Amino acid sequence: MKKLCISAIACFLCSSGAFGAGFQLNLQGLRQLAMANTGTAWAWDASSIFYNPGALSRLDGMQVYGSLNFVMPSIKYVQTPTGGYSSETKAQTFTPFSIYAGGTLKKHNKIGVGIGVYTPFGSGTKWDDNWEGRYINRNISLQSVFVQPTVSYKINDLVSVGAGFIYAFGNVKIEQALPVQFANGADGKGTLEGNANGVGFNLGVHVKATNKLQLGLTYRSQVKMKVDDGTATFVVPTSLSANFPNTNFSTNLKLPDVLTLGAGFKVNSKLIVLADLEYTGWKVYDSLVFDYKVNTSSLADTRTPRLYQSVMAIRLGANYQLMKMLSVSAGVAYDPSPVRDGYVSPELPDANRYVGTVGATFSPIKKLTIMAALEFVSSDKRDATFLPANFSGKYQSTAFTAGVGFAYHF
Amino acid sequence: MKKIYIVGLAALSFSACKPNIDPAKPSKGDADFTTYVSVGNSLTAGYADGTLYRSGQLYSYPSMLAGQFKLVGGGDFKQPLLPGEAGYPSLKRVLGYSTGCDGVTALGPVLYSGTMDTAGNSANIAAGGPYNNVGVPGIRCIDYLTAGYAIFNPYAARFFNSPMEKAVTQATKIKATFFTMWLGANDVLGYATSGGNGAVSGTGQSDISPITTFTTVYNAVVDSMTANGAKGVLINIPDVTSIPYFTTIPAKGLVLRQGQADSLSAAYTALGITFTAGANYFIIQDASAPGGMRKIRDGEYIILTTPQDSLKCAGWGSRKPIPKDYVLTADEVANVKNATTAFNNVISAAAAAHNLPVADMNSYLKTISSGTTFNGVTFNATFVSGGAFSLDGVHLTPRGYALAANYILLTINNKYNSTIPLVDVNKYSGVRFP
Repeated sequence: MKKLCISAIACFLCSSGAFGAGFQLNLQGLRQLAMANTGTAWAWDASSIFYNPGALSRLDGMQVYGSLNFVMPSIKYVQTPTGGYSSETKAQTFTPFSIYAGGTLKKHNKIGVGIGVYTPFGSGTKWDDNWEGRYINRNISLQSVFVQPTVSYKINDLVSVGAGFIYAFGNVKIEQALPVQFANGADGKGTLEGNANGVGFNLGVHVKATNKLQLGLTYRSQVKMKVDDGTATFVVPTSLSANFPNTNFSTNLKLPDVLTLGAGFKVNSKLIVLADLEYTGWKVYDSLVFDYKVNTSSLADTRTPRLYQSVMAIRLGANYQLMKMLSVSAGVAYDPSPVRDGYVSPELPDANRYVGTVGATFSPIKKLTIMAALEFVSSDKRDATFLPANFSGKYQSTAFTAGVGFAYHF
Repeated sequence: MKKIYIVGLAALSFSACKPNIDPAKPSKGDADFTTYVSVGNSLTAGYADGTLYRSGQLYSYPSMLAGQFKLVGGGDFKQPLLPGEAGYPSLKRVLGYSTGCDGVTALGPVLYSGTMDTAGNSANIAAGGPYNNVGVPGIRCIDYLTAGYAIFNPYAARFFNSPMEKAVTQATKIKATFFTMWLGANDVLGYATSGGNGAVSGTGQSDISPITTFTTVYNAVVDSMTANGAKGVLINIPDVTSIPYFTTIPAKGLVLRQGQADSLSAAYTALGITFTAGANYFIIQDASAPGGMRKIRDGEYIILTTPQDSLKCAGWGSRKPIPKDYVLTADEVANVKNATTAFNNVISAAAAAHNLPVADMNSYLKTISSGTTFNGVTFNATFVSGGAFSLDGVHLTPRGYALAANYILLTINNKYNSTIPLVDVNKYSGVRFP
């Protein structure tokens, strides 16, 4: 027999490594979460460090703030065109958090300072080891933590501005089966794991137009999360070990910029309604490149087209002061998918999403606020193909989030 | 207290709000899949890696189809299973290391050396029948009405009730409500794999079958299968020149250094054949060429079973021509293609006459050969690493048979308005590596 030239036996990550809009977490404040993540226009508390740095100088004194969320996503896949096969992701709970400390140093001071630590992108997907799409993805997880020192200045009673510098760090882990089989029929496996970091900024303007109407405009910059010395690990039959050497890889995950315009209106002494328009620049995510330190005929650098489109989400929320110590909130939002037809992949199959939220705020004593919020997100049922891997199916995803937290006012 | 209440509520809501898409309920459409019979040759029997063995049979495309038919009312599907994995009558090929005459050890197909579970391989198991899968490795269309065929075919001998029984009798033992028929490939394959030395219209094993006989027998078999009103699908025959058996050894595969090229050119001065450093076309035997030999041309093929040691160390293709038994010349390739077209025309006509659909496997296997991706796996006709073809370069891997099964299912769904789900191709194996 002819001597084997084993090339193109598997194309690792030819079709993998996506992180979609589903990785965007809108969970940086509980009052805001309870109102479908509106809040650019309202200076509720120290979480303004994230939602609008310009509003930080509107606060009355210093605060510390902490919240913890429990996110339980679930995705179901049904084979198309005829649907004989279906699979569901394994249950996982993610715990994004936010910590803020900040406010104005003394009463009536025009300068606000603060620092925030929060998690705007994260989550993951874990499919069954032997599921039909395992050569595209078995599991992926992405975590990021942003640290943002912030200053804010109240120019006058009407306008205040703020800016924060963002240092981001995190990690990414991707695992997929390789279509090379051991003598016993088991699949090979490839794992990519790496730490990433990047920098960015967060700018905001807050306008107190009248006693009833407040407006906010914020811009959070793109953050390029650079992975430099990630490790690529392979489990393959011995005869193919030279084709799949364990090596290092580098890549850039671009977290998109976000421009938000918000308005808040105090209807009466008890009711506040808020609306946000949020434009996310997913267009930066046009392709994903993985560069391996060692290349072989089976392990080539990959450049996968993603061709995301930028999208505008609409958010509406309301807060009602039920009694002196207790207020309740609710909200709805529509979050269109940035993923075009033909690029919906099972790593995090994206579709237009509908969001419903409720929450409550309880102040047992003047200095302490305890907050809780619930969010339910459900996507369209989307018939989709992932062209780079010729993988078709119908997807639906849901996510349930419960968050609790407190704010302490000094 | 408040927080606990909320978390409790959360747990309740969560279970109620999971994704609620469900697979569509499969429908059988206008066909009846209760009793399925598969007619064919080695491809239908589940032959792979140069032989027939039990797991290959379990992963035959008819077995996969029967599994999907069960979702729309299909019954049990009985196959004449072998007892073991070693292979019958010869051992199967597996990937392993072997050292050639040049001292180079390389990964390639070697004979199976595991448990010799061959006991009972040749026992007649007709008593366990009748069988739904009547695929017989090696059988040609023109053999299908021949009494006594099982005397010469060890596979038929295993499950035919008597050596004198005709294949068509065996195929109609079970009154099928649905059948698939993938017959005719061996009516041209034997000619191609033996280097095109047989007759273009003959009945020998290395001949191309006479078109008149083929037409008569093919139509007679379709008549028999549909006599009781069974519906089915006819599968046409692939153009074998795109499979690894013919495409693995390149025509321009003689790699020479300058010195070797010079001395070969000197040796061939009389015939005017010259060589250059680098890749050259192999020298093949051709009675019609001056001196009985010439360089092979693009579009001509050297078959996979050409002894490697002879190519590497005995000067085949360089100092001596590669014998004609291992070469398919342009004329022979044309004969193969013409016969394939002619036989496929017969199949199309039979389909039209009986209102049956044709699964155009000829086109589909070309798609696989030229490279196709499905559910994250890329397939092509590269030997060993291509994924769809097994280690004999002709037959498919379980994963390749699954692709074929899906193509047949699409044809069935299209014709009979059924919605039978496709096979999970990735559930099955490709080529396995040590």
